[in-house]
Parts: sequence; structure tokens; C-alpha cells
Amino acid sequence: MSAHMDRLIRLDDGQRILSKAECETIARRVKGFAEGGGDTYVQISSWWAGELRWGRNRVSLAGDRRNVAVYLNRTIRRALGVAFTNQLDDVSLQSAVRAAERSARFLPTGPQDLEKPRPTFAYATPAIWSDATYDQTAPESGQSARALIDPAEAEAMLSAGYLEVRAETTAHYPKDGPAMYAATTNAQCSMTVRDEKGTGSGWAGLSSYDLRAVDTQTLAKRALEKAVASRNPVSLEPGRYTVILEPQAVHDLVQWIVNPIVLPTLSRDGAENGSGPFVAGSDNALGLYRSKLGLKVVDERITISHDPMDPLLGVVPFDGEDEPYRPVKWIDHGVLTALSDPREYALRHLNDNLGYPNSGAYRMSGGETSIEEMIRTTKRGLLVTRFSNFGLLDGSSLLMTGLTRDGLWLIENGKITKAVKNFRFTESPLFVLNSLEQLGEPVPVFSPGVPAIVPPLKARDFSFTSTIDAV
Amino acid sequence: MSISRRDFMKTGAAAAAIAAVPRPLMVRLGPTPEPMPPIDDPRLKALVGRALEAARGAGAAYADVRLTHRQNRSVDSTARVVDLESMVVGVRALVDGYWGFASGGVWSPDEMARLGRGAVALAKTNALGKSRTVDLAPVPAIRDGHWVMPVKIDPFEVPPVEIADFLGGLEIYVSRVAGAWVVGLATSDFEVQQSVFGSTEGSYYSQRCYRTQGGIGLKLERDGMVGGGEMDCLTPAGLGWEFFTADRVPFVRDRSLRETIRERLDEIEADMKLPVKPLDVGRYDTVFDARSVVNLLDGTLGPATELDRALGYEANAGGTSYLNAPFEMLGSYQVGAPLLTVTGNRSDAGGCATVQWDDEGVVPDEFPLVKEGVLVDFQTTRESAGWLKEAYAKAGKPFRSHGCANAQAGLFAPLQRNPNLTLAPDRGEVDFDALVAGVAKGIAVNGIAPYMDFQCLNGMGMGAAYEIKRGKRVARIANAGVLFRAPELWKGLLALGGTASARRYGTQASKGEPEQTTYYSVTAPPALFKQLTYIDPLRKA
Repeated sequence: MSAHMDRLIRLDDGQRILSKAECETIARRVKGFAEGGGDTYVQISSWWAGELRWGRNRVSLAGDRRNVAVYLNRTIRRALGVAFTNQLDDVSLQSAVRAAERSARFLPTGPQDLEKPRPTFAYATPAIWSDATYDQTAPESGQSARALIDPAEAEAMLSAGYLEVRAETTAHYPKDGPAMYAATTNAQCSMTVRDEKGTGSGWAGLSSYDLRAVDTQTLAKRALEKAVASRNPVSLEPGRYTVILEPQAVHDLVQWIVNPIVLPTLSRDGAENGSGPFVAGSDNALGLYRSKLGLKVVDERITISHDPMDPLLGVVPFDGEDEPYRPVKWIDHGVLTALSDPREYALRHLNDNLGYPNSGAYRMSGGETSIEEMIRTTKRGLLVTRFSNFGLLDGSSLLMTGLTRDGLWLIENGKITKAVKNFRFTESPLFVLNSLEQLGEPVPVFSPGVPAIVPPLKARDFSFTSTIDAV
Repeated sequence: MSISRRDFMKTGAAAAAIAAVPRPLMVRLGPTPEPMPPIDDPRLKALVGRALEAARGAGAAYADVRLTHRQNRSVDSTARVVDLESMVVGVRALVDGYWGFASGGVWSPDEMARLGRGAVALAKTNALGKSRTVDLAPVPAIRDGHWVMPVKIDPFEVPPVEIADFLGGLEIYVSRVAGAWVVGLATSDFEVQQSVFGSTEGSYYSQRCYRTQGGIGLKLERDGMVGGGEMDCLTPAGLGWEFFTADRVPFVRDRSLRETIRERLDEIEADMKLPVKPLDVGRYDTVFDARSVVNLLDGTLGPATELDRALGYEANAGGTSYLNAPFEMLGSYQVGAPLLTVTGNRSDAGGCATVQWDDEGVVPDEFPLVKEGVLVDFQTTRESAGWLKEAYAKAGKPFRSHGCANAQAGLFAPLQRNPNLTLAPDRGEVDFDALVAGVAKGIAVNGIAPYMDFQCLNGMGMGAAYEIKRGKRVARIANAGVLFRAPELWKGLLALGGTASARRYGTQASKGEPEQTTYYSVTAPPALFKQLTYIDPLRKA
């Protein structure tokens, strides 16, 4: 091994993430180590995070973490070998290549390649980098945290929370076709304020690629107000209630429809193989299941869409399989208009040369009604801050159980009258989106790395099945 | 020309060659990089020393360093092998009661110094604010300790083809001999994590820990009916390849894996012959199998007895605990019936949380959390034991950490995490069937997986439910959900199975911000509970 080959590319103070040029160098070296023919595919990522955590009104940990990852495929005689390392020196990269080759050699030859050349595609160039996020220093975060804790401590309440700034790079080097590189930042802040006895709890949080969009002082105020107002809750009977869901509560439900990491509800592959709520029925002629594409699935006021170029909804413009994110309307005025599929499925079944990846980021349409107006027009109902502890009970209807958390209030005759003990619910987000009364203005919610813009809403007959006395 | 796997197996040298993983990684212990030395190489101590020196020099009152080197390997029955390998390092420093932490992926003297200084700078940043005190529980210094988890067969020494052949053999057994089939593929996952720890109090150790798990889903068709289930004797364990090949694994299975599969298939078949009834909503005496009791214990008393969680440090993440006044509750709060005794340990052979030293250099002890129904202690680290200093003094207990500090890897700062948990079994020889035999009218539930709330207090769970009539399981019940509150559940504990009926399952949990995942094992016998509430969980209000 020649001396110059052992050069370490390191992440240190001057450089916390890998540049495009460095990723290219690494990819070139990896490809150079390949032996025995076949194709080499490389993904290189790096990340840095500045983290600050607090509990009981004191910072409990300040952290600075970073790492890299090289993931590589060697395809030899259509058999795929995979390996992974986090060391960037030549010997480590070379041995990772050898490991992938070794494992490829053991596998039987893969199926005939379906691959057609990928069409050339101009990847979107979304707004996903913020110098304000990347340049936030630890002392600045510390100062910020103290300012968030102080108001809670002044009221003799207990604050616990988390503030994180983060940067990531992702680079893909396909065997042919252009390389892809993206650098992105993420900022998130969330906190929970409780009273000393634990009879009340309030939460607020927000995330964005741009730290400047996360107004931490407003969050601190909201979490404190909710904590104070939620103390000493009364117990209500389980049953069906009209609910006013704050945007975060709506997101907690709707992400089960939209975010494939939570549940692949929008998967075409899944629906056409008979799983999930978007199966319309089996089609004997095709030997497949028909999906609900083209059918109305929720209230016609609902449109759920994503455009990677939306300035508030930027994501790394390609997925793990190099597929470009394109503008999409999953649900258009209540009608299911798109389902997501990987490229292999598109090639095999749809005669399409591009997959339809789903990043999970989304914008949900709203209406004109403010939360205050929703409350004013409610005779009896509940105001929900957020939901937590979900469990899927029935995939075919998206029936779930879960809990209300961090602030639940009774509304009587247009006014908030009492804090209410938390409920366990048994409900489907699709049912909620079919029982709408009013919609408000869509706003960004807490959804780190997968941005979402969601309105508050009022819906009828939300099913609460038992009271829980956890706060 | 491709070589068949069999041909490959015949040649010993080739088999040995493929046993080798992507090695060696390179480290910089000196001016030039070199292959990764064995984890007990004394030069790693110099690397650790460099970080500690830097931290102390920058003003740390206390600092510790963790270097971890991890290999993961997955092998399935088609011989698909995925190897992951990484090494990371983290330095934690304490200044005026505030913690700073810095971590990364490079093991070099310069990087150690950077991380040491960086951790202190982060701690100092926050020490500017209001005062905070940390009273670390004392711990004797470890002088150059080295420990290797005593597994019988290092899975990384076994050629992957041999593993694949074993798994393929199981699939063939299931389909050709037992007349059923394996859903998807039989899979296996192995991990070895080597770590080095050093602290400014003079402790230094290295240890190597293993974790092994597998997945085999079974399906069976009889008389037009389809039944099935997952083999639950392959949840994560602190064992090597013997987890698959041994004739028996204590607390996991009493027979070979093949015979255990056969047994499971017989159970599934017997189940399919039972009639299916709808649930008659109401309250029933209930026999839970060991897996259910493990899951209930894990859900209600696992996170709930984490002291940091009970005090609100996790409020913004997983939540808090119903044991929310720890200082008043210690020694007096009735968690359950006098039959209930729960201990924590990190020493169970085969336990996922088993170590010689925790991530703060503490030798974990075996400690009771609940003794005869009363809450007597919490899970602790050196810092959180400090919060109990007075309580321990009052109770005449030593001021020490129970050794529950655990970081997912060196990249993360240690948190207080679950040790292995054990529910003490009955002294007798009662098993699941004997418990069922004692019930005139009731319900038996296998494999309940409860959905808990954010204080581990209220739960709702579903499993495979059976109607019990005059001591026998006579029907399956569709959609039976148990609704419970933790204290009432455990106060209604009427009888426990004996040691021979206790089972151990490995599980993982996430905690903290940033979130970390760690593993631990829970061991419990089957048990009989008084009058639990059953609902149809799919029914809306």
C-alpha cells in the first residue's frame, strides 16, 4: 500500500461534513478498488449535530456529534453484495469492497436485469440549506435554552426540552449516470413544561431546515401556558366528541397516511397486493387488487400534496434508490390521485421508467376558520394539543389506538371551560378526514427532517374509548 | 463460472477465507495508520489517556472516554451476507455540574485531544447559567480490566455459508418434514461490540460483548385453514452462534431449535382445531404465558423504575412515570401483590444487557426494584444514584450506582437504561398448563403486547386469547383486548409459575434526545391474575 493512499479525510472543527469534491474522491477510490468485474454503486453520507438537552430546568447535556458512512454495492453476475463502513482510509474502503465482493460471489446469479437506462432527469434544487442553522454555536444554543427555561422556572414549573441543529450530506454514485450530492440542514426545538406535582403538562415544538423559522420564545410561552391551563383536569366519560385538533394533532394522525416511514399507506405496491386502506377490491381479470386511485377517499376539501421546490417543504431531492422527488398530489379534493412506487415496480408492472418516491413531506390544504372561531362555534367538544403512543389495530381501515397528550380541554357553549384528563382513542385518520366541519390555516409543524404544513381542523364524532389518568 | 456453496464448503481454506470480515480497519495510534489491534492492546490506553488529559487540561472535574468498534453481520438462508463495521469515540466531561459530550468516527491522538477539549467547552457553555450539582456515586477504579462475554461460538468465526446452510436446513425441515412452510426467509443477525473505557478517576477497561438474534415465521395449512406465528425463541440474546445450534438454551428453549419448531407447529395445529368465539365483554381471571408476563413487566415497570424518567428528565421524549414521587414512594409504595419481586441485573448469562462494567466503569450489582410488592429502589447511574444519596443513607443502604449507564455506542453519551429484568418465579413447579388447570372460568392469553401510556400506567393489550372452562382451554376468542392500570394489575397477581416455566426474551427500547436504542432481556414465569377487564379493542365508542 503506498503511503499516500492512507490519507484520512476527517471531520474536525474546520469541517464538520463532507464536501462534494471529497465525496467524489472517496467514490472514485472505492470504484478503483473493485476487482472481478461487475458494477459498483456507492452512497456516502456525513452528518454533524449540535445538541442541547434539558430537564428539571437545567441543561443536562450539550453534545457535538458527527460521523460518516460509506455504503457500497458490488453487483457481480447480477448478484448483489453489500457492505458498510465509517472509515475513509484506503485500507478500510478496500476491505469493505472485498467484503461486498465476497458476499456477491456466494449468491446465486440474480434475476434477469429489468434495468433500462434511467432517463436523464434534472433533480430539483430545493431550499434545504441554512447557514443560520449550520453556524449556530453551542454558546448561542446554551443562551437560547436558558431563555426558554427561565419563564417556566419563574412560575415554579419544570421544563424539559431539546434543541438541535444539524447538517447532513448525501451523495450517490450510480454505476452510470450522473452523481448526486445534496447538503441539508435541520433545526428542531421542542419542550414539555409540567407542574411540580405532575397534574398538568404542556408541549410545544417546531422544526425547519432554517433555525430562523423556529421561534423558540413563542414555543416556550405556548408550552408554559398549556402546562398552567392543563392542571387539575377533570374526568369525562369516554364517547364520541366533536374535536378541535391543533395542527400538530392533525399531523400526528395524517402522518400515518402520508409518511412511508410511519406506515406505507400510499404505497401502490402495497395497495395492488391487497394491503392497506387504499385497496378497492380484487380484480380477477388482472389477478391483482385494484387500488382506490381515482376514488374519493376523504372530504373534498382535503388536498394533500408535495412539491420539493416548495420553500417550506424542501427535502433532499432524491431517495435512497436515486429516484427524483417530483411534485405530486396524493389526494386532490378528496380523490386519491397518486400512489408511490419504487422504480422496479414501475418497470415491472406499469411500463414506466421512473418510480414515484414519497419523501413523507407534505402540505395539507386548509380553510379560513381560526381555532378561536372553531371554539366559538362549538357547543360541546374537546380541544386537542397532540396525540401520542399510537398502535395500529387494523391496517385495512387504519384503525388505531393512541392517547391525547400535553393539553386537552373541554369546550362548552363556545368557550374553553375545563382541563380534561387524557383519553385513549380508537379511531382512523381517514374517518376523521371524512367527518370534517371546519378547517383552518395550514402552518408548519414539528416534524424533524420531514417537513409538513398542516391546518387545524374541527371534526365530528371522534371516538374516545377510555379515560387514562396519566399526565 | 460460479462455484456452488457446497463446493466452497468442501475446501477448508476457502471456508476460512470467507469467515474473514472486512478487516482490518485502520487506526492512528501513532504517526501512521495501522490495522486495528486487538481491543486489549495497551496502546489504546494511550489513546484514551490523550482524551482524558485534554479534558482535564481544559478544566474538567471529571471526564470519561468510550471507544467502540462494532461489527454487524446478517445472514439469511440464501447466503445473503450484509456486513457493517464502524468505530466511534465519545468523550464526556463534567464542569461545575454541567455535562458536555463530543463524539466522532476517528481514532487518532489528535482527534482524542479535540474531543476532550470540545466536551469541556460544551460543558462550560452551560455552566454559565444557574448552578447545578452532580454528586457522582463513588466507584472503585478498574485497573486494566479485560473481559469477553463468554459465548460458546463466536458467530464471526463461523463461515457465513455454514450459517446459511443451517438456516436452509431449518426451512427444509419445516416444509418437507413438518408439512408447513417458512414465511419469507429464515434470518440471523449477529453483533459484536468491543469497547474501551477510561475515566479521569483512573479506571480503564476493555470488553467485548455479543448479541445474536434470528427470525423464523411459520405458516401451516390444515383442512383449508391457515395458521402461523413467529418462533419466539430467537429474540435478541447475549449469546453466540450456539443460540441456534445448542441442544438447549436456559430460559429460552429446552430442546433443539428443530424440535422447538416442531413443538410450536403442534401448538399452532392444536389451536386451529379449537372453535373461535366472539368476546363476551367483562372481567375474567386470566392466565398469561411467560411472554405476556415479560411484556407486561417491561411495559409497566421497565421504564417506570428509571429514576431519571420518574423525575421528569424524559418528559419531552418518552414521558414520565407513575412512580412520580420517587423519594416518598421508596420503601412504602405498594406496586403490586406480595408475590411480586422484581430485580435488575447485568449479569444473566445470555442477557442482552449483560456486561462486566457499565458505560461509567461500574460493576453492576443485582438489585431488587420491587420486593414483595413494595417499591424499594430505582435503576440508576452514578449521577442519578446521587439523587438518592439521602434516601439510601436513611434506609441504611450503600451509596452506589446499580450500573445502568448504557450508550448505544461511543457516538452517544451514556443514559440510564434498563438492565436485564427478572420477575422472581414461584418456588414450586407450577407451569402455564397447571395455572390454567386451576381456573374454573377465565381467559388465557399468549404473547400479549400492551400499548402503554407515557407514564407506564394505563395499558391496553391484545394477544392470542383462549376461553378457559374447568381448567381447560376450550376455544379461541377473537379480538380480546385487556384494559388495565399497572398497580391494579400487579395487585391482582394471584399465582406465579415456577423456575422451570420462566422464559427470557430480549428486547430493545429507545430513549432520550437524541434517541438511542439499547437492548436488555426480561425473564418471567407465566402467571395468574385476578379479574381483568376485557374489551373489543377494534370497537369504537
